[in-house]
Amino acid sequence: MKYVLMILTMLMSFAGHTVEDKYEFSSQERAATFKELTHELRCPKCQNQNIADSDAIVAKDLRDKVVTLVHEGKTKEEVIDYMIDRYGYFVHYQPPVTPATIILWVLPIFIVVVGFGFIVFRQKKASRKQVWDANDEAKLTKLIAQYQRKEQQ
Amino acid sequence: MNKKLIAIIPFLIFMFLCVFLYQGLFGNPRELQTGRIGQVMPSFTLPDLMVDEKQWQNTDLLGEVYLLNVWGTWCPTCIAELGYLAQLRSQGVRIIGLYYEQAYDPDFGDQFDMNALRVEVKSMLDRAGDPYQFNILDLERTLALDLGVSGAPETFLVNKEGKILLHHTGDINPRVWRAKFAPAIQELSQ
Repeated sequence: MKYVLMILTMLMSFAGHTVEDKYEFSSQERAATFKELTHELRCPKCQNQNIADSDAIVAKDLRDKVVTLVHEGKTKEEVIDYMIDRYGYFVHYQPPVTPATIILWVLPIFIVVVGFGFIVFRQKKASRKQVWDANDEAKLTKLIAQYQRKEQQ
Repeated sequence: MNKKLIAIIPFLIFMFLCVFLYQGLFGNPRELQTGRIGQVMPSFTLPDLMVDEKQWQNTDLLGEVYLLNVWGTWCPTCIAELGYLAQLRSQGVRIIGLYYEQAYDPDFGDQFDMNALRVEVKSMLDRAGDPYQFNILDLERTLALDLGVSGAPETFLVNKEGKILLHHTGDINPRVWRAKFAPAIQELSQ
């Protein structure tokens, strides 16, 4: 039983290996760049997978291209630009700030600001000191008298 | 008055969301933006699919408007559109094939058999119709990557100066032709 468990755990540890293990890099830094890139670049064929996850032919081609570019010493930004040049903004998971996408960035901030503004406004209004003068007193007595009369009826 | 106005705001937001989301129902997520529209064809040197020793370069394609059709015999949609493309060819549209070989992957030690591929392509084109002036073989899919091709079939419209005007993902059928390609070609001939 012990051995079966041991073999099982060993097998499971193999399953955890991911794409980047197949490639070799001259430095830790480049390996890290490759890993980041394959998780940030989106497979153009398969809607919602990054190129590390996807088994599509084009995803493999992109991975190979990323490896080549990283080997050539290109920076992360240069590789991303290279891909956007060919596959459009679709290929990168972080949308750029353009007039069409500005709402994505502005709207959340706007909502937070308006929300806080509303809370502050409410609290200020609630904490304002209220003065109690003779006028109010007279109104109150009148109201009390009215209800008392109603109850007696 | 002011209170009424404020009471209407949630309703307005709701209406806006309705319109926005309803629109989304008709969006086509396969419709990709592409980075290459408006740019010139990337430079390449690739062999002809059918003729030994023949090499094609991007400069060989200049001078005439043409469609570059990315296809492969492994791709059922490509086969389905061959008939219609052949019809377009007979109407005088210049179509060049970019053969996208899916199965070949040198990393897995795949052997590539040129003769077998030629036989397969020939029998396919004999059966389904041959729209191509010639075919360029992109075995390692380098030109495909430079063009931002994500699969097959895909079609590019390129003008005389080699500028890419359209990039269509998916098959070409009469509807797509009328809506997308015919107007663009008309504009070019004016």
